[in-house]
Amino acid sequence: KRRKTSESNEEIEKRLESLICRVGEKSSSSLESNLEGLAAVLEADLPNFKPQILHILVLCSYQLPEKCSIYSTLLGLLNVRNYNCGAEFIEMVYCEMKRLIVINQFNMARYILQFIGDLVNSSVVTPSSMMGLLGAFADVTKQEGVPQSRKDWFVYVLMAALPWCGSILSEKKGNEMETLFSKLHKYVSNRNKDHHKFLRVWSSDDPHPQEDYVECLYAQICKLREDGWIEDIILRPYRAFQPVLADALQHNLPQFIPPPHIAGSTVYPLPKVIFRMFDYTDCPEGPLIPGNHAIERWLIEEHLSCLTRSYKYDKKECANRLLAIPGRDKMPLNHMIIETLLGDMFRLPSSPNPQVFYMAVFIELCKIQPSMMPQVLALASDMLYERLDTMQITCIDRFVNWFAQHLSNFQFRWSWDEWSDCLTMDPAMPKPKFIREVLEKCVRLAYHQRVCEIMPSEFQALLPSNPKIEFKYAIEAGSGSSEELNADKTTAQKIISAIKNKGKDDELIVMLDVIKPHSDGSEFNVKRLEIFLQSLLFLAQKSFSHSFSALAKFHKVIKWAADGEEGKIESLRILQDVWRNHPQKIGVLVDKMLRMQIVDCSSVAKWIFSPEMASDFTRLYTWEIMHATIRKMNKHLAKLEGEMAEMRERAAVAEKKDDCDENDDMMKGFNLFAPNEDDLRMMQEKVDAASSDQKKLFLIIFQRFIMILSDHLVRSKSLGCDYKTPWFKNTIQRLGEIFLLHKDTVVKFMMTLENLLFTSDLDPHILTIFQQFSSISR
Amino acid sequence: DRVHQEKLLQLSTTLYVGNLSYFTTEEQIYELFSKCGDLKRVVMGLDKFKKTPCGFCFVEYYDRVSAEDCVRFINGTRLDDRVVRTDWDAGFKEGRQYGRG
Repeated sequence: KRRKTSESNEEIEKRLESLICRVGEKSSSSLESNLEGLAAVLEADLPNFKPQILHILVLCSYQLPEKCSIYSTLLGLLNVRNYNCGAEFIEMVYCEMKRLIVINQFNMARYILQFIGDLVNSSVVTPSSMMGLLGAFADVTKQEGVPQSRKDWFVYVLMAALPWCGSILSEKKGNEMETLFSKLHKYVSNRNKDHHKFLRVWSSDDPHPQEDYVECLYAQICKLREDGWIEDIILRPYRAFQPVLADALQHNLPQFIPPPHIAGSTVYPLPKVIFRMFDYTDCPEGPLIPGNHAIERWLIEEHLSCLTRSYKYDKKECANRLLAIPGRDKMPLNHMIIETLLGDMFRLPSSPNPQVFYMAVFIELCKIQPSMMPQVLALASDMLYERLDTMQITCIDRFVNWFAQHLSNFQFRWSWDEWSDCLTMDPAMPKPKFIREVLEKCVRLAYHQRVCEIMPSEFQALLPSNPKIEFKYAIEAGSGSSEELNADKTTAQKIISAIKNKGKDDELIVMLDVIKPHSDGSEFNVKRLEIFLQSLLFLAQKSFSHSFSALAKFHKVIKWAADGEEGKIESLRILQDVWRNHPQKIGVLVDKMLRMQIVDCSSVAKWIFSPEMASDFTRLYTWEIMHATIRKMNKHLAKLEGEMAEMRERAAVAEKKDDCDENDDMMKGFNLFAPNEDDLRMMQEKVDAASSDQKKLFLIIFQRFIMILSDHLVRSKSLGCDYKTPWFKNTIQRLGEIFLLHKDTVVKFMMTLENLLFTSDLDPHILTIFQQFSSISR
Repeated sequence: DRVHQEKLLQLSTTLYVGNLSYFTTEEQIYELFSKCGDLKRVVMGLDKFKKTPCGFCFVEYYDRVSAEDCVRFINGTRLDDRVVRTDWDAGFKEGRQYGRG
């Protein structure tokens, strides 16, 4: 086609980018003719736009990994036409791979290696130099004094490239492949696997083994090799161009020196445990699901994961792309999609996308395939329910949240009767607990009566209580109450009318000041706080907004009545007492009270471990509050640290300017506002205070965990009963969860924890959690 | 002025939420919308005369990314069997909670 003369360079670049990025998408002509056409266009533009074209191709090589072999074929065709351009591309892509490793973009670097491997197939790269590159990756396992996560990454990435280039390398370089595999075998069989227990979704291998990711891929690659490298998932467009590509001159890759490990700044990907929930018996109709060690299983999962990464901002496009992957007739696609998405959703410590993403994509999938997807999703939910007993608590929480929200999107329709086995169990067991938590979340998303109506009557015992307020000083309640309580009720009524009559802070303080403390002689005046806070929350019960403005309006009174550590913990206890039927209210109000500095993070932790909270200790809302509190603490510190860094920078700039532009009036003006030493010192004090609060918070949490767990273990032993109660399992997992969900913070305190709390004389059941965590933070 | 408005929208952490049932409560809004991050406040849309909920609200997040996730993922899902619609809003101002009567 002749080019319009008016097209600017910028327009041409845009057009080239769009042409290159779109190749391999839906088109009326064949992929082969599109590739040939594109190669011709690019060849014509190479003289004028070589750097731009090569740059776009480099980006495509790792940003569109699902089209890997399409681009490797394109490169092959270009290399045949223009040998130099092939050489330059290799040089650029090589640099890019190193750069990505250095800046911790390991996943992208991984796709480049796979792409370079595929260039052997399209006759751009020589097999022997590719062997050399893989060898260099394998030799990282021999390095000493580097973390296992580094070796894992190099080995995993090298294995991940083999489905693409293994066949041709075995054919051309059989002996070297033999050596490579013996290196792999040696590494994989001697690897430490302490992390495995900590990161698996289920503690049991029944019905499906929960394999370590390096071991699983190794087994899959070995099987692929035994099968003569034959698989039918990877698209291989270069095969059609074999005669053309055969004449190409191939390039030798330069020698590869792995970028060094830099302690403290290189952050390798965390180890993973492979999530499996289906096998061939679960999808008896249609094509079989590939076995655990079939490379097809891994290839399909990889393709699906790529799509959820590329389309993570667009739930509709994501769902459509997932359902349209090439080769979809050769596999039970719906099962594979759901297994992959659930695997990501349950990934520990955190899933690749936010939880709401998975919720939204499942809904989209159900909309696109209303006759099939809901069934498979129901099957999956049923399996997850059946396996609750061995499921990690963090994953159960995610399951609860997703399932309740999914139900709320589909009129709460579910065949509850099939889950009636939970009705005869100890209510502390995972299944009844799960149902209870799901129903509670359903009530929050709808309303109490609706949930009561949808549930079969047998499930009544698991229904959440009606979320109404429990006001201790209600006049009508308990006519036979004690004299003291009756007197308190009268006081509460006075407070209530004072608030209603728009009483000011100080008037209320005067009224409250006359309240005598409880007769037990404790120093802190609990009664005063209780009467006031109960009355205030009672008056403001109508909505969150009412409660918020009540707290804001009487902030001064609360701070006065709830003075000191004990006052803060008591405020939380009173809040929980008033709203014990309404956990959402407790959560939202604790958040508000933290932000208003009525309570602080440590007091929240102490309250959660207090005897008054024992009955709610294993409930989901309690742990939502705990984690939200920790996150708030971490965020607060990060914000202050950010401000400090910015202040230092401004001070440094000002100092520099001071040196060189002494006569510049404007600069002098600027320097007037630059932070001085006092500002810096004050800011540093704030940072230090927050930093020590953060450490204190974690120490309190861990110390309380150790106390209650040790108590339980000692008591079980002396009574001669089994320590493995539902409470114990729950609590020990919550301890692990604190490590897991806040690992980046906890690692700062490892030394202190090891020397102060997790000492060798601790019961091994507790100590093991710390040791497992140490293994992933290495 | 339009440029200014657009700039506000690009930094905003507030969303206008429409197509709600008149019976949907502030608590339900809190539950659904905090799935994307901590909420700063929710302002229920009220009927000008009756001062009762009338099918919309404003939600304000602490962080921009929470609001973005909300537009991406909560938008188009259901609450009280109605499809929730979210739109960027330049920021709530007193008085805007009153809908047409």
